Amino acid sequence: MPRGPGLDATDLSRVAVFAALTAALGLPGSFSAFGGVPITAQTLGVMLAGAVLGPRLGALAMIVLLTLVAAGLPLLAGGRGGIAVFTGPSAGYALGWIAGAFVTGLIVHGSARRPSVFRIAVGMLAGAIVVVYAIGVPVQSLVTRLPLGETFVLSLAFIPGDLIKAAIATATVSSLLRAYPRAFRRSWLPPRQNAEVSP
Amino acid sequence: MLSLYRPGHSLWHRLPAGPKTTLVTLIVLSVCLLPVTWTGAATAAAIAVACYLIPGMGLSELGRQLFAVRWLIAVTALGQFLFLGPERAVANTTRISAALVIGALIVLSTSATALLNALERGLKPLQWCGVDRQRVALLLVVTFTMVPVLARLAGEVRQAQQARGGRVSLRYFATPFLILALKHADSLGDALSARGVR
Repeated sequence: MPRGPGLDATDLSRVAVFAALTAALGLPGSFSAFGGVPITAQTLGVMLAGAVLGPRLGALAMIVLLTLVAAGLPLLAGGRGGIAVFTGPSAGYALGWIAGAFVTGLIVHGSARRPSVFRIAVGMLAGAIVVVYAIGVPVQSLVTRLPLGETFVLSLAFIPGDLIKAAIATATVSSLLRAYPRAFRRSWLPPRQNAEVSP
Repeated sequence: MLSLYRPGHSLWHRLPAGPKTTLVTLIVLSVCLLPVTWTGAATAAAIAVACYLIPGMGLSELGRQLFAVRWLIAVTALGQFLFLGPERAVANTTRISAALVIGALIVLSTSATALLNALERGLKPLQWCGVDRQRVALLLVVTFTMVPVLARLAGEVRQAQQARGGRVSLRYFATPFLILALKHADSLGDALSARGVR
């Protein structure tokens, strides 16, 4: 469905909901095991935002969230907020969310055909993991003045958790495709090999 | 829940949001640029203590803020002590902890409304880039008010899971939560359109 330039009301709410969802995933009492450690269930929000909203709106949702955080609202995992967060060790990871959601969206929404589970999984890994770490690790190294190699080794500790989240996100987006395809606000051609009826 | 704001009478509370943010950011940046030596560490700690003690925030608040980011500090310290010598490790960890704790002053002494207003004022220059400022403001406020709604939704989905006797696992939580959140977004979008938001 053709949409004019800028955001219409539904897109505005959708962007808001994914930004708020990512924030809600970081609130205490959620699923994060550690209070202030940079990577938590919020990464799941990044993955979902990119996959469901697509590259442009997904990145916008992350920009909205980070703008609110910069304004001082404690929306980062562990209730952190304020512009000082962007001078801490986890600053790069948070900023990386923007590019991460964009890349995830680019991959998942990249083809005219309905994305396969494989494509979704690749999107999650490439965007929310590879891109986020690619930005987060160098910034962390810069802030903590620890050499890049050692910082990278440290960050490896969080990869298993992120892989689990990527798996959950992939499963969630796949079920969403089947259960509530309206959520994506676009139409797909049926996947190549199946005789499956497209929604 | 959404705001760490603690009403009070300190000097930080009396400063308006915009200048306060600038001032705190400047202090944090200068702390970040301190040298990686024992003196650098001591200076960072001294600045942090001064920022809490002099304006009247109190050292117990400083302690609370340190406790809030304890895991971040612990992980940072671990990496530092594993790979760097003691002087650099202590200096870096102190420097980072001081920056985090000083930065928290903004959130502690400003209410969420004041922060959002300051943000809106700060976004004025964007108008010259052709960005619709009212739309941006709407988007920010809608997002902000949605967070407690989603948090409540999350709680309900979790309770439903527990009522069914299942373990609360992220996997079976995500899909229903996401669908409910998206339905909320759709109805909100309809409500906005009904009110004349394009």
